[in-house]
Amino acid sequence: MDQFLQLLIAGIATGAIYALAAIGFTLVWQTSQTINFAQGEFVMLPAILALAARDLLGLPFWAALILATAAFLLLFGLGFKRFLVDPMLKHGVLPLAIATMALSILMKEGAKDGYSAQAAQFPSLVPEGMVTILGATVSSRDIAVFVVAIAAIVALQFFVTRTRLGRTMQATAQNPTVARILGVRVERMILLTFLINAGLAALASYLISPIYLAKFSNGEFIGLAAFIAAIVGGFNQVRGALAGGFIVGLVDNLAAAYVSSAYRTAVPLALLVVFILFKPEGLLGRREERTV
Amino acid sequence: MTAIPDPILKVEGLVAGYGKMTILNGTSFEVPEGSITTVIGPNGAGKSTVFKTLFGLLKAREGKVVFDGRDLTNKEPRELLEAGICYVPQGRNIFPELSVFHNIELGGIAAGRHLTDMPERIERALDRFPALREKAKLQAGTLSGGQQKQLEIARGMLLDPKLILIDEPSIGLSPMLVEETFRFLVEQRDLGVSILMIEQNARSALAMSDWGLVLELGQTRMFDRAETILHDPRVGQLFLGGSLETAEKAA
Repeated sequence: MDQFLQLLIAGIATGAIYALAAIGFTLVWQTSQTINFAQGEFVMLPAILALAARDLLGLPFWAALILATAAFLLLFGLGFKRFLVDPMLKHGVLPLAIATMALSILMKEGAKDGYSAQAAQFPSLVPEGMVTILGATVSSRDIAVFVVAIAAIVALQFFVTRTRLGRTMQATAQNPTVARILGVRVERMILLTFLINAGLAALASYLISPIYLAKFSNGEFIGLAAFIAAIVGGFNQVRGALAGGFIVGLVDNLAAAYVSSAYRTAVPLALLVVFILFKPEGLLGRREERTV
Repeated sequence: MTAIPDPILKVEGLVAGYGKMTILNGTSFEVPEGSITTVIGPNGAGKSTVFKTLFGLLKAREGKVVFDGRDLTNKEPRELLEAGICYVPQGRNIFPELSVFHNIELGGIAAGRHLTDMPERIERALDRFPALREKAKLQAGTLSGGQQKQLEIARGMLLDPKLILIDEPSIGLSPMLVEETFRFLVEQRDLGVSILMIEQNARSALAMSDWGLVLELGQTRMFDRAETILHDPRVGQLFLGGSLETAEKAA
């Protein structure tokens, strides 16, 4: 029971991080039909950038974090949209998806050559240690990660539903043509979703890297987890991506303990297959329906 | 052709289409101010294409659009809304996961922060469509087809447009709702709003319209008083599949 509770909390904590990545993934898909196969690398890179800024530029860690975040938002929020998505989307969804695969390789190899091929310690932004909950000893880091990720998601949800700008962004995601007819500056709204995606990825990066260490290859399993979370939750729903993130995080952690750690990544994949076969629209998804 | 009193919209020699396909071959017409003009014509005549080109969704390769004395050729929808035109396209055009209230609110987005009386405007829209007020807090996706159309119209009216472009408002609506929608348009016309409407339900649309415009192969074939168009034998011919030219030869 003790172990189960620990696993549950660890699962929820990693699930919340997957949810951050999956929500960004979903937002970018909704507003601009971008299936970002580099999403895992988007979560890998900010931590590496921060470490590089600290080690190579000799900055204090907090300054390195700020610089890395700003650079990442500029390059992989704005730059990603301008220089990869905009030119490739004209050729269709598939060429764009393939271009993001190429980007993922570039980012991975770039991180390896530019920083290190080794896994590096990443300082935890939240308190380390153990606390006792309901008689079980659990990692305070897991709880803090969960709290931070959920706070970010709640803030995003507040922005999206309670502010006019957020609702305009949502409207653009639900039906860009109608949004344009109503005079929404669709391009700006799309850019906003790309910036939010980059921001969520950076946060996920800073939360997950202390747990799994910062390594150029981290994007592989994070990307897969986020992808599965987005599909399981329903590809077109932020709430779905959140639910999907938690499910994948839990399944992932429980499978590692009770099934086999070797098959850890296979179990979420099996979950994906089950969903695609029996509930292709996902847990909370709706079937795509667009007119005009 | 009857002389047209004070056109609010002038379209001259519009050429537009999709990719290499040209749909509008120099379409020209005028929309009289403060009246309802119904556009009819066979499938593929370019009715919806005219609207999309007018509203900046399709690029006009040639031609000119003048609204209220301003050249609005190839302008973004935002500028057209600011100038006082709104467009209610065919089909379902709501944001299903936003509330009815917030859907209507988005009708004012083009005015930006200059619009200080937004809450009052939304209230007025909800007053006009009681069915929407009842469901104001619900997701718009829960509305019936007819209510969704009402929502689109209410949203389009939020900025008090001078000209409404409305494409097939009756599609998929019950006869009662069609009548209600038409009544709303007449009411707006009586308030001085100009309306350009595409309607497949040509007979009942022309019956409530002031003017009729017949498009065929992307060109204006006829423009006249609605009742004249309604009783023109060639129009019947057109809708039975024949073209105006062959009808003219036959006559």
